Amino acid sequence: MSSSHNNAHSEAAKMEQIITEFLAKSLHIILESRSTYVSSRNFSGEQIVSSPSSSSSSSSSVRPRDKWFNLALRECPAALENLDLWHQSNSDPIVVDVVLVQRPVGWDNLSPRRELVRNLSSKERYPYCCNSDQEDFCYEAKSEKIIERWVVHYESRKIRDGNLGPGSRRSSNTLSTLYKKSILLLRSLYATVRLLPAYKIFRDLNSSGQIRSCTLSHRVSSFVEPFTRKEEAEMQRFGFTPVDTSCGRLCLSVLYRSSLSEMGSEPSTPMSPQFIPDYVGSPLIDPLKRFPSLPVPHGSPSSLPFSRRHSWSFDPFKASPPSISFSPSPTRSEPHAPVFNPEPHAPVFNPSSRRYPPVSLPPHQHETSLTHKQNTGFDECYPTPAFSSNPSSSSPIHIPGSNPSKSLLRSESAPVPIPTAKHAYSRTLFNKQNLPPSPPLKIITSDISKNDENMGPTLSGATSDKFFLGKDDSRKYSGVKLSSNSSPRISFSRSSSRSFQDDYDDPEFPCPFDVEDDDITDPGSRPESFDKKGNQCEQLEPGGLFPIKKSQDAAVGALVRLLKKAPPLRQDFSRLINLSEASKPETRSNSIQVHNQISGAVAVQHTSSSVASSGLFASKTTAEALEELRGYKEMKSLLISQSCKSYTSANCAFAAEP
Amino acid sequence: MNCEVCQLKELEVEHFEIREVLRCILHTIVFHRALGLVRPKDIDLELFEITYVQCGDIELEKKIDEKIEQFVSWVEKHPNKKSQICLSFYEVKSKQQLWFSHKNERLYWEQWHVNLTVAQHQKGHPGKPHHPKVIVDPGESAPEERSMRRAALEASLREVLFQIIKFVNEKKDHVPLIPEGIYFPYEITIPSSSDSAFGMDMLKRMLQTPPPPMLS
Repeated sequence: MSSSHNNAHSEAAKMEQIITEFLAKSLHIILESRSTYVSSRNFSGEQIVSSPSSSSSSSSSVRPRDKWFNLALRECPAALENLDLWHQSNSDPIVVDVVLVQRPVGWDNLSPRRELVRNLSSKERYPYCCNSDQEDFCYEAKSEKIIERWVVHYESRKIRDGNLGPGSRRSSNTLSTLYKKSILLLRSLYATVRLLPAYKIFRDLNSSGQIRSCTLSHRVSSFVEPFTRKEEAEMQRFGFTPVDTSCGRLCLSVLYRSSLSEMGSEPSTPMSPQFIPDYVGSPLIDPLKRFPSLPVPHGSPSSLPFSRRHSWSFDPFKASPPSISFSPSPTRSEPHAPVFNPEPHAPVFNPSSRRYPPVSLPPHQHETSLTHKQNTGFDECYPTPAFSSNPSSSSPIHIPGSNPSKSLLRSESAPVPIPTAKHAYSRTLFNKQNLPPSPPLKIITSDISKNDENMGPTLSGATSDKFFLGKDDSRKYSGVKLSSNSSPRISFSRSSSRSFQDDYDDPEFPCPFDVEDDDITDPGSRPESFDKKGNQCEQLEPGGLFPIKKSQDAAVGALVRLLKKAPPLRQDFSRLINLSEASKPETRSNSIQVHNQISGAVAVQHTSSSVASSGLFASKTTAEALEELRGYKEMKSLLISQSCKSYTSANCAFAAEP
Repeated sequence: MNCEVCQLKELEVEHFEIREVLRCILHTIVFHRALGLVRPKDIDLELFEITYVQCGDIELEKKIDEKIEQFVSWVEKHPNKKSQICLSFYEVKSKQQLWFSHKNERLYWEQWHVNLTVAQHQKGHPGKPHHPKVIVDPGESAPEERSMRRAALEASLREVLFQIIKFVNEKKDHVPLIPEGIYFPYEITIPSSSDSAFGMDMLKRMLQTPPPPMLS
């Protein structure tokens, strides 16, 4: 580029080389601490090992590159893969987007039984998903969020040729100075990368061998995809002081989400498994869905208010805790399996799906139809966890297969599971709410995705589209193929397809269907639901018809759904009470059952009793449930206010609701 | 040569936190001044959710730890005092001394002042009886306060680290060319039993500064 100007070709060439190496080193430093399969921290994560890309790309031979800038880095296949692209031109900026991908997976841990059953199958599937973080995503439910954007570029000043003029002596001097300053800049980059919130996620992902609900992926391109204002508002910028060269300057900056730490931290805090069952498995949701009487397809958004009522209804039963708060954070934490649930958007509320109590309500079937069937499958799986009060005993097995369920669970985590009371309420809710989604998880997820699209902001969809463009562009320009890693989007579609197949393949699969019809819990169903979701999502996504807005909208939608689905607290409370009061548990439950009339109630009772057995659980759960309720209320209000602003149409409807 | 000075934000730490905080800060600074070939080593703090970078040099590690221990013992003797640790980088130039017998003189080109206040918090003693139902009410106000304080310190420490990074970014011109060794010669000064130590250091430095032109 600039070299032509210079009399001393060698100088120019050297400088050019320094610039080139600087760009490469920067990319290496960034990806080394963001690309999960490169375990810079010597991690032995199974996933890492399995990841095909890492194994292939890594070369342990002598690395002359280490000498550059006197900084020896670990192998980073991702960086090497992407480097080639950029070598062609120093003038092209390198834009590295670090993307947080949230998967539904995390929830599985909660339900030990299922996990066990599914583990095998899941493992088979999982490998793909886990290993190639960037490319393959098993579930569409996953959501993506850009948490960091690094921009490294050389800003050349060719135009001002005059600057280059100065004698060779000076140029030599500048070369060494340039090199020194580059070293300093890279040192500070190296340290900074480790101080940003995303590093914690990276570290946790590497450190825990467990299956997590989220992963990090990255996209490298030469184009900056503009953020929405909302997004930008959430990002902070750290600009490194540019290093001047004789004919330009090296610029390095990062936009990062400072709130990430919060998101990540919450989930990371290990909650006791015990809590989880209560929260997670909110039988309520499912039962409601099942009710045949309810008109299934209404504006899903509208349903929210109703769901709230449910939560409120709880209080009377319990009496003790006046303010029932769904605290989103607690719920997240509960699942604990997923270390980070950075994304609020969390895919769907799966809770409902999870825990259908094995209630047999034939009438419901009508409503559910196909979706129900699928959903029911989920339910079946879930029930087990609920019953097993002691998650620990069951051995929290992280089964990959369970992942889908996890994702589902997450979203709903907050809701308290109260099965019996729910039914009545749920019916009403249902009618009002409408949501086709309600019954089966699948539906829900699909709805979410739809909503997102409508809202415009579905993160994943939007990002993927954008990326796509970027990739294409990059390809055109550079003529280089982007590494598969870099393109999340592609993975998307693939993953979804894979997951589907896998589900079908699963032996369990058939079972779920049967169960579904009955509305009874079907272990096998889960996979299906996922698949459906995935399919739906895929369809929607590819269409890309809807302008993708941003994650926030999606998050709002997710919240709305959660709220809607939020399991009636009553049951939980009753459970809790029973537990605490050990002596009187049955009476209350009985009364509740009567009200409910639903056969499912019985099942619920059973669950409750099991829960009751462990007094600890109950007590904690109630308290947490209250907290969660509060949190949810707050979230709700916020989201609603936001949603109202941003969305006029359907969204507004639910927003309007309390 | 200019001597750039960076005053780092003051941190209020408890005694048991001194070592980690100082290690984190000092190593981070030295890492930015280690312009020789370095194979960085990531260190996760135990008390905080912070990862910092070391140069991976055992000698350096020893020296820093040694100084930290000295500082800790000083703090024990001088409780409730604000204290400052100074990390200085210099170049050694052999001078023909016309007067004084110094063969080598240190040209300080950068100083980092780490400011600490060691709080004498008495943590809630274990003796304090908890509710019999420990499980139900694990958290009391004390732990909450502690975690709050810890979080605040973590944020402050992170701020200091960013302060270091920003300083390194903004001030590059005064840094000498790449040294032969891994890092530039440095020294770590802690308050000594005689408070005059720091003053002595300054005096020494004054003496070491290049003599006026007329003498040369």
